[in-house]
Order: sequence, then C-alpha cells, then structure tokens
Amino acid sequence: MSEFAILTDGLMKHYSETRAVDGLHLHVPRGSLYGFLGRNGAGKTTTIRTLMGLLRPTGGSARMLDMRVPEEQIAILQRTAYVSEKKALPPSMTGEHLVRFNRPFYRSWSDALAAKCAQRLEIPMDQQFKKLSLGNRTKLCLLMALAQGAELLILDEPTLGLDPVIMDELLKLLIEDYAVEGRTVFLSSHRLAEVERVADWVGIIDHGKLLLEARLDDIRTEYCRINASGNALPVNIGPQILSAVFSGSLCEYVVRNDADRFVAELRSQGATILDVSPLNLGEVFLLLVRKEEPCTSGNVGATPAALSPST
Amino acid sequence: MQLHVSPATGVPLYLQIESQLKHAIAAGALKQGDTLPSVRKLAADLRINPNTVARAYQNLERDGVIRTVPGGGTFVANNVPGLLKSEKLKRLKPFALQVAVEGTQLRLTRDEILKQVHVALDELGEKS
Repeated sequence: MSEFAILTDGLMKHYSETRAVDGLHLHVPRGSLYGFLGRNGAGKTTTIRTLMGLLRPTGGSARMLDMRVPEEQIAILQRTAYVSEKKALPPSMTGEHLVRFNRPFYRSWSDALAAKCAQRLEIPMDQQFKKLSLGNRTKLCLLMALAQGAELLILDEPTLGLDPVIMDELLKLLIEDYAVEGRTVFLSSHRLAEVERVADWVGIIDHGKLLLEARLDDIRTEYCRINASGNALPVNIGPQILSAVFSGSLCEYVVRNDADRFVAELRSQGATILDVSPLNLGEVFLLLVRKEEPCTSGNVGATPAALSPST
Repeated sequence: MQLHVSPATGVPLYLQIESQLKHAIAAGALKQGDTLPSVRKLAADLRINPNTVARAYQNLERDGVIRTVPGGGTFVANNVPGLLKSEKLKRLKPFALQVAVEGTQLRLTRDEILKQVHVALDELGEKS
C-alpha cells in the first residue's frame, strides 16, 4: 500500500490554448488533511474533476488509493466521497429521499453519521433540494459525502455560502470524522484562515503548477520576517533572502530556511535585530503567488518563476 | 482550563499548545496528576488537526512535562522537567531579550523594567 492517497505525475489538462493543469506533481499522504490552495482559475477544480474521472487528462498520470485514474475509476468511486464545486443534486428530491437513494450504493454508508450531520449542520431534510438556499445546498452535499464513510474525501470549496456558526461546526465534524484512522481529506479553498487551522499538509497551485507542497508546520518555521537596523545591511536577494524592504537604516527581510544563521550573520556585521517573527499562511501565499508582479520593494519569489503566459 | 490557538500569528500551532500548557502548569492552573484531554478531543475542541495536537503532546512528554499511560490517558507529570540549568537559561534568553527591547523602546529605566519582572513573579507566586 502506497503512503499516498493521491499521487499525480506530471498531470496535464489543456484546453486548446489554455493550460488549466500544467504538469502537476501532487503527493497527498494517507491520513492527512490536505489543503489545496490557489486563486480563482488557478486550476484547482480542473485538477479535482480530472481526478474524479470527469475530465480526460491531456497528459501525465494520476493514482488515487493506489488505483489508476481513469482506468479503475469505478473502484475509486466506491471508496471516495466527493463534493463538487457546483453543489448540485437532483432538484426535486429532499434530503430524506437522497439519503435513501444514496445508501445502497456504498458499503460503508452510515445512517448515524448522516443523522449527526443533519442535526449538527442544521439541515432541513424535508425540503426539496431546489428550494434550499446556497448554504443549505452546500450542507446537504457535505452530508451525502460524509455519510459515505469513505477512505478519501474530496471537497471542492466546501465552505461556499456557509455562515460562521455552521462553518465552525463543519470544521469540528471534519476533525471528528477525519480523526478516524487512515482517512484522508483533500479540500480546495481560497479561504486561507480556515485551512490554516485544520490542515496539516498544504499545496499551493498557480497557473496549473504546484508552487509549494509541504507540511504546514514546516512552512510556518521555514519562512521568517526579520527587522534589522544598521549600516551596510546586505541587499542581495537570492534563494534565501526573498525580499528586503529598506526605510532609512531599517530593513525588513523575508527569509526562507535557517533564519537563525542569517540573524547571526547580521549581528556579526554589527546590525541590531529588532524582531524575528514567522509568516502566516496568508503571507506565504501572497509571497509565492504574487511573485510575477514585482513591486518597488523588490519582492522576489521563493521558487524559480515557472509561469505559463496564458490565463 | 481553556486553550486558545491562533493560526494568524504564524507561530506553529503545536508550539502554541506547548507554551500554553507549560504556562498553565507554571501558574498552578494545572497541577501534578491532572488529566489532559485526549488528542482527538482537544483537536475537535480547538478545530485543529489531530496530528498537530499529537506533536505537541509528544514534545511535552519528551521534555518530561506530561506523561502518557497507554490506554489510560495523559497527565501532568509528577516531577518538574529535569533540564540542565544551562538549557533552561538558553530557553529563557529570547524572552528576556524581548522584555529588554520593549522596555527600552518605551524609554523605561532599568529599574522600572526589572520591577515589572519582579511584579510578574510575585503574581505567579500568589496563584500557585
């Protein structure tokens, strides 16, 4: 059994001129809660739809739970739950109908979990899907996916239209459900704050390529902001110093890897270190995704620029 | 006792949990032998990843702050961490530096800064 629940090798999905997914190498560890992050149009949904067998890849390959996409898709679907971006279910069916309809398709279906979701997420189960609000539609889709008791849960923007109270309940449900041995949750979002709480792995995609894939705690310790003051502070931006913003004799650096050594170096050159603080996920995200538009401060990205001219 | 974590600060969440539990023990809010919530319960309560809580617990156990009885729960350890004095001082140093920097920036005198540390120690002493 592979240690990865989802593994893609140079996955590609091109539409004539547009490279929606452009050589993606994803490694989603089993048992992780993986946040798949990117801006609108970065390629998140196309990647997920390709993984679910709804789109044919242009190139590369993908495996889910050690099975080939799309050749073994039926077996994959048996063990994977999916909430699509569109949050669509048969319009004239109620929640209760849908539970009865979906139950026989899945061996690991749990009525108890369905009831728990309905109660905790406050879902009106006796109303037709088409009469529900956007938030309630999202909740019903989540219920259908969670109650499957699947090994792998794929959620495309699962928080669309949810109010803060339900959002909080959903995170709690996900953690309780996910904490069951071996289960993997792969969720796409551009709401970084919620992902930053619950995820332990993060992948950042932009223009169809992965810019960063790492354990979230490692990202937090890897990127640092350092405020220093002194004369002749180093200005050369390189693989370690990602940006340096000067104002008078003060300089704010953003560094990657080994901040301690950089601080010691600055000190040995007579600089005073005023502050060393870690970057949060939102700041790292902006740093990586915005690199193609260098501002006057001289922001430079962490990884070599690998952007396609399209989109 | 109630823990609070904030992802927005960028400080790894497991470190936030570690320091809050250490603080609670130093302040006497948690005493020797007190039971800590299970990894799964704390993760659900804080809405954070269970692996993050597990990592904090592992580190605290390695430092001798808590101990885990297989199948029996997690407790505040009986004896205070047996770290070397030099290691303890090394851990304290960054906090001392922070106090010094903040105090100097606020243009407080050396005595005023030291007095604040004494006050904080006295307040801790009253609680435990």
